Amino acid sequence: MGSEQGPVLAIRHAAVAYERAPVVEDVDGTVSSGQSVALIGPNGAGKSTLIRAVLGLLPVVRGSIEVLGRSPEAARPKVAYVPQADTLDPEFPVSALQVVLMGRYRRIGWVRRPGKADRAAARSALDAVGLAERASARFGTLSGGQRQRVLLARAIAQEPRLLLLDEPFNGVDAVSQELLLAALQRLRAGGAAVVMATHDLGLAHLACDEVCLLNRHQVGFGPIGTTLTPELLRVTYGGQALELRGDAVIVAKP
Amino acid sequence: MTELLVDPFRLPYMQRALLEVVLLGVLTGAVGVFVVLRRLAFVADALTHTVFPGVVIAFLLDRSILLGALAFGLLTALLLAGIGANRRVGDDAALAILLTSFFSLGVVLVSRTRTFASDLTAFLFGRVLTVDRADLVQTLVLAVLVLAVLAALRKELVLRAFDPAGAVALGYRTVVLDLVLNVLIALVVVAAVKAVGTVLVLALIVVPAAAARLLVDRVATMAALAGLLGAAGGWLGLAVSYEVSVGYGVRLASGATIVVVLVALFLVAASVAPLRRLAAGRQGPATLAARGQRERR
Repeated sequence: MGSEQGPVLAIRHAAVAYERAPVVEDVDGTVSSGQSVALIGPNGAGKSTLIRAVLGLLPVVRGSIEVLGRSPEAARPKVAYVPQADTLDPEFPVSALQVVLMGRYRRIGWVRRPGKADRAAARSALDAVGLAERASARFGTLSGGQRQRVLLARAIAQEPRLLLLDEPFNGVDAVSQELLLAALQRLRAGGAAVVMATHDLGLAHLACDEVCLLNRHQVGFGPIGTTLTPELLRVTYGGQALELRGDAVIVAKP
Repeated sequence: MTELLVDPFRLPYMQRALLEVVLLGVLTGAVGVFVVLRRLAFVADALTHTVFPGVVIAFLLDRSILLGALAFGLLTALLLAGIGANRRVGDDAALAILLTSFFSLGVVLVSRTRTFASDLTAFLFGRVLTVDRADLVQTLVLAVLVLAVLAALRKELVLRAFDPAGAVALGYRTVVLDLVLNVLIALVVVAAVKAVGTVLVLALIVVPAAAARLLVDRVATMAALAGLLGAAGGWLGLAVSYEVSVGYGVRLASGATIVVVLVALFLVAASVAPLRRLAAGRQGPATLAARGQRERR
């Protein structure tokens, strides 16, 4: 498999369309094993669209997106997606462990039930996010931060090579944030690549070493220290970015 | 108590009726769990009406009512999957159009018969006391088929109900899963047509599952409890309608009595559920504090 040598995610001059109209264009960059990239840009910049394209759910109309040297659809079993916890119904009758087991479903296959190995993997994933003791709690009884950790555990249980996260730190308490960051760090140490859409520049600094600035097209892609600059942020956010003591600060409309 | 619950069922036709409603109760309870969790009650409602012309056509042509209902149930499941794609019309409007047009077609057809009123009543509310051995076999076959598919696909159906975006991201084709569930609902409606009619089957699908939803926190226990409630409601409803009709000379329609009993069970569940939550909440804060400490360590 030549894909083991190359980047986990290779985006080459890609444009992604939603219902025929291109939403985001000129995206170009690679993410290697162990690397973590923050997708930063205002609402409607195309962050979620790009993530959906990497999942193979939206068409790439120009350029290309390759995951592990294959098409996004073909690579899907090796890609895990972590949604925002508050998009899920808190009243749904599933336990935390059952949610984590969902990450194993493709591996388990149709008809069969989760086996011993799957349960062990799910338990160790819950342990990795500090929720081993809440395995049998109903998902909705957990705090917002704990739910987000359960969803990360589900992705961990999938044993992905590429992890995609949509605003993973929204409404997350400090304890959960620490545990999420630690778990992400361990995943990267294990060789997974991480791409996360986020509004939080501080957390982007903590969790990522690369950044992709987006506003309908790519404004910059590179190491966070040289790319997350006040100048480029101003270009990305337009009038919404302002400067305080040399640091760029984003002021999003409420 | 045995007078009410056992004695009526010494009669062969009552035995067949009991077997039929218990089978249907288990079946509708299991599929009802997914109807309630996916919020598909209106889809189920539409299906109960759209099989109606199939029933009438089969009756007029002297063919199997089951096959007539099956044809229109499957047609509806397919049309629903297709119409769902058109955003401008919207799911609810499309459902209403489908429901009313098919149902009207059925009424127009049945109004051509001489025994119009009694035929219509039979189709809408069923005749559980006239269920024969062949009907029972048909219900059993459909029940085994539907329960087997539900058991085989339960983890995917639960995932799709809980987290549709996650299911898609994992590579599942939710359109196919949705079509399968719609077909299963159609099959359940078809199985119940003769016994409880096309209208009351909706109660059998939704009410026990909704009651179970109030009481338990796992999909598997919810399915078991919904099946149990459905079967118990069927049994009790039949017994009550027999007792009142025979013992007191007031004719109670059996299908409708079953529904009334089911709703009564739902009301009991609805009044018990807050008490249970209260009891759970009382021990809650202490355990929460302990958890908080563990987490800080």
